[in-house]
Amino acid sequence: MTTNTGAALVGSPSRARVRRRNAHPPMRRREVAGAWTLLGPYVVLLLIGGIIPIGYALWVSVQVSPTLLEPNKTGFGGLGAYAKAITDFRFGQSFGDIFTVLLVWLPIMIVAIVGLALLVHASPGRFGSIMRFIYYIPGALGGVANLMLWVYLLNPSQSPISGFLSAMGFTTIKQVVATQGDLPVILAAMLLLQGLGQWIVTVNGGLNSIPDETLEAASLDGANAWQLAWHVKLPMIRQWIGYAALLNLAYGFQLFLEPYLLNQVASGALASEYTPTQLGYWFAFVGHDFPAAAAMSVIIVIITLAIGLIVVFRSGLFAVEEH
Amino acid sequence: MTETTVRSTRVGTVRRWDAGRITRVVFMTFIALVFLYPLVGFFAVALRSDAGVAANSGGFLGLGNISFTAIQHSWNEIIAYGGLDTPHVYLTWLGNTVFVAVIGGILALVAALPSGYALARLRFRFQRTILVITLLAMVMPNTVLVIPLFLEVNAVNAVGELWPVAIIMGFFPFGVYLSYIHFRTAMPHELVEAARIDGLGEVAIFLRIALPISRQAIALVAFFSFVANWTNFFLPLALLTSSFGTQTISVGIQSLISSSPLFNPTAAAGTPIKLYMPELALATAISTIPLLIVFIVAQRFLIRGQTVGAVKG
Repeated sequence: MTTNTGAALVGSPSRARVRRRNAHPPMRRREVAGAWTLLGPYVVLLLIGGIIPIGYALWVSVQVSPTLLEPNKTGFGGLGAYAKAITDFRFGQSFGDIFTVLLVWLPIMIVAIVGLALLVHASPGRFGSIMRFIYYIPGALGGVANLMLWVYLLNPSQSPISGFLSAMGFTTIKQVVATQGDLPVILAAMLLLQGLGQWIVTVNGGLNSIPDETLEAASLDGANAWQLAWHVKLPMIRQWIGYAALLNLAYGFQLFLEPYLLNQVASGALASEYTPTQLGYWFAFVGHDFPAAAAMSVIIVIITLAIGLIVVFRSGLFAVEEH
Repeated sequence: MTETTVRSTRVGTVRRWDAGRITRVVFMTFIALVFLYPLVGFFAVALRSDAGVAANSGGFLGLGNISFTAIQHSWNEIIAYGGLDTPHVYLTWLGNTVFVAVIGGILALVAALPSGYALARLRFRFQRTILVITLLAMVMPNTVLVIPLFLEVNAVNAVGELWPVAIIMGFFPFGVYLSYIHFRTAMPHELVEAARIDGLGEVAIFLRIALPISRQAIALVAFFSFVANWTNFFLPLALLTSSFGTQTISVGIQSLISSSPLFNPTAAAGTPIKLYMPELALATAISTIPLLIVFIVAQRFLIRGQTVGAVKG
């Protein structure tokens, strides 16, 4: 029962369906009515949790942005809020910051996911599953617990790697986090530890869907474990690697929790608008500029939606692309 | 060529401890230790005394100065946090999180199972449209919608209340996809046809035939949605920050961090409660216990459903 096979079944219309539609119209009507009854609760939640907020954000984003002189001015503002968000000096910076983090993190992440997934896959039995479980633990703890783990790691006064930190010349966690150039590396390390386990399991799922015969045939042809991984398994999980890269890319764009909380730990020494999502949060909660906050989130939604469309229609994992 | 063949056949069949295998096991164990080392140290901090942690004593990872009195002291500090207006607010946060995570989980189940069934086994217009929207919502990080959701909830004047958080958590497209895959693979179409011939309506078929064979899917959807809700940070942060007493535990721990003398000496100076690393670590460790419990309960379902469960990013 892999996602692969499940996904392959998505939206495959059969001729039988067309035939039945014409043969039993009353039964079809009952079926349609039943379908929408069963879908009811989900459609309501989809509207409340997805469609309406996006529509409303689009509407808010074309309203007039409040200014210091006219804090209560309302009405249609065209693309003014977008202009305001984009021309804000932090807009370019926050995207630049995200790109820096992605540049440091994403390549290491993908190599680590694929490498460890191949190693786990090459270790059948108890050893492999224990390792996979251990790699999974940090991700299972969740965002805030993970952050506390990092606070413990990065605070030179009691860190288990305090020797390393003091050798680097750090005495406080504020220094560690706020020293120029450290933040992208720390964020990359946090994201790596947090996400690795889950993605090893995912890519491992892809590896498990390779037919045994293929692997046996390669072994008989004289491939050793390394050649098997490099020449047989790797090409066969290409789409899973692409999936992992795209989803992690989308994840990177919305980064919020880690830089937001690290800033608190560093007593506010970091930029509080380090990432685009943080900037959107700033517009809403500090600037009280809802149109600019809405414009900011529409921009982020468009970026992640574009990545999502590629994943759903082009990754080959969901098989909705034919027709 | 011949040499390679002989060597690899041996690797594949006899499974000797050759150099390649030893390297693999050593490397994987090393990575596991890199993962475990800070985790063990961190949970040890939760059980150590303020003085012990500050002095960095206790030997290897401070395991030597774990003590019951220390735990008791840390717990008393955590419980005392909150002052007169919101006494033992830590427990309130835990209760709030149970509320939103359970209600959100139940809503996710009530929505996901029937819709997953309808998408997988019934034919109607827009079936593919709904499926594609669900997949898109599933692969997009859910934080991108938080500001729009805040604007929506703000428009109905419900910011600071728990129920909108619970309802929004009920929107769980990954659960719909899980159910969809479940009914697509585990339920033969003939079963539906047979029930129809027996005169059962579509809803009755779902309730009486599809649902009873869906324990696996129910467990997976419940588990994944509970964990996602419990650890959700940005949504409760945006919807609940204004009111201290209605926060969830993840946002609450953030409040603990920001009032710790370690990171914010000025804010901490005004209160008699001093939250150092042991208190913060204990508060965090306790907040992960429910995750541990649901993990243990759901484990046997998870092992079987692992591959399906793995698709969510």
